[in-house]
Amino acid sequence: MCIDLQMLSAYMDGELKEPYRTQVEEHLEHCAACRNLLEGMRALDKKLEKDTFSPDELNRNKDAIFKKLDSKFFSEGRKVSFFRRKIQMSVPAAITAAAAAVFIFVGGFALFGSNTKETNDILPSFAVNAESENVRLVSQGKTSLEDYTLEEILQYLDSKGYQVDISIKGLQPLE
Amino acid sequence: MEVKSTNRDDFRKVYDANYTLLMQVVMHIVYNQEIAEDLVQEAFERFYVKNISFPTMDEAKYWLLRVSKNLALNHIRRNKREIQLVEKVKKLPGETVNFFDSSKAVIEEEERRNVREAVNSLPENLRSVIQLKEYSGLDYKAIGKVLGISETNVKVRVHRARKKLEEILAAEDRDVY
Repeated sequence: MCIDLQMLSAYMDGELKEPYRTQVEEHLEHCAACRNLLEGMRALDKKLEKDTFSPDELNRNKDAIFKKLDSKFFSEGRKVSFFRRKIQMSVPAAITAAAAAVFIFVGGFALFGSNTKETNDILPSFAVNAESENVRLVSQGKTSLEDYTLEEILQYLDSKGYQVDISIKGLQPLE
Repeated sequence: MEVKSTNRDDFRKVYDANYTLLMQVVMHIVYNQEIAEDLVQEAFERFYVKNISFPTMDEAKYWLLRVSKNLALNHIRRNKREIQLVEKVKKLPGETVNFFDSSKAVIEEEERRNVREAVNSLPENLRSVIQLKEYSGLDYKAIGKVLGISETNVKVRVHRARKKLEEILAAEDRDVY
């Protein structure tokens, strides 16, 4: 049986691993048809190669472009400022951070009272409502899993149709 | 060796090592030196602005190849109309072909154009693989990393591209004679 063409193509690219490579080589030695196919592929490769652009042509403006980039980014020994730095943050973390910022801002008024005159300078539209008596702490309600008892969680899962088996690590159930 | 895109020495090294390669790859998409230069410059600008650290020089190379290839493809898509117009003008019979001039250079130029047209008629997923194979000197594994596909997938696509190219070029020969 002759060599699969895809294998031959990988062989030509030097990408065929042993033992397949040796097998292909052995087959090529006594199979003229496959040798012809390989030659055909090599000829096509040569044709494609002819369309390579010469490095001299390509590098015509290499230095000029580098100078442009160098003066744009590195002149005066500039460093990346804090604001250009890439900050990676997961979505929940970003939401928490935003919520914290708002909380601190509003909480500041709630805890320390507000001075209408100062607020008026900073945020005129907010000043009207920012008097201490208008700002109240609102209960956060039950939000985390910690706030529920195990029974509540099991009850909830049960109501959703889950069958849950619970055991304690390292303890054998009594027979 | 870690490579930091905002470090001046690293930037210079990466630029020197990859500029020609990126130009070669981008040129095979846009076929215009000035546009290719603009696109490669933009790729390096993004490289700096992104401020990324790469574990190796190779990783930086793959990143740059991917970005410049995509910039070039976007450019082509955006400017399809104008490019088609230019192609039409180019195909008008011009003074370049001298009927009696059958010198080697003319034949070679003709052959080069045929091959280029054949490659450009391939679907995008085969074209980028065969072009990276032929013009970037990368192996299957590296090409896979640039394109975000598996090594096996690269092998399959290289083979399919070759098969199609052979068919197209053989058909052209038949048309001529």
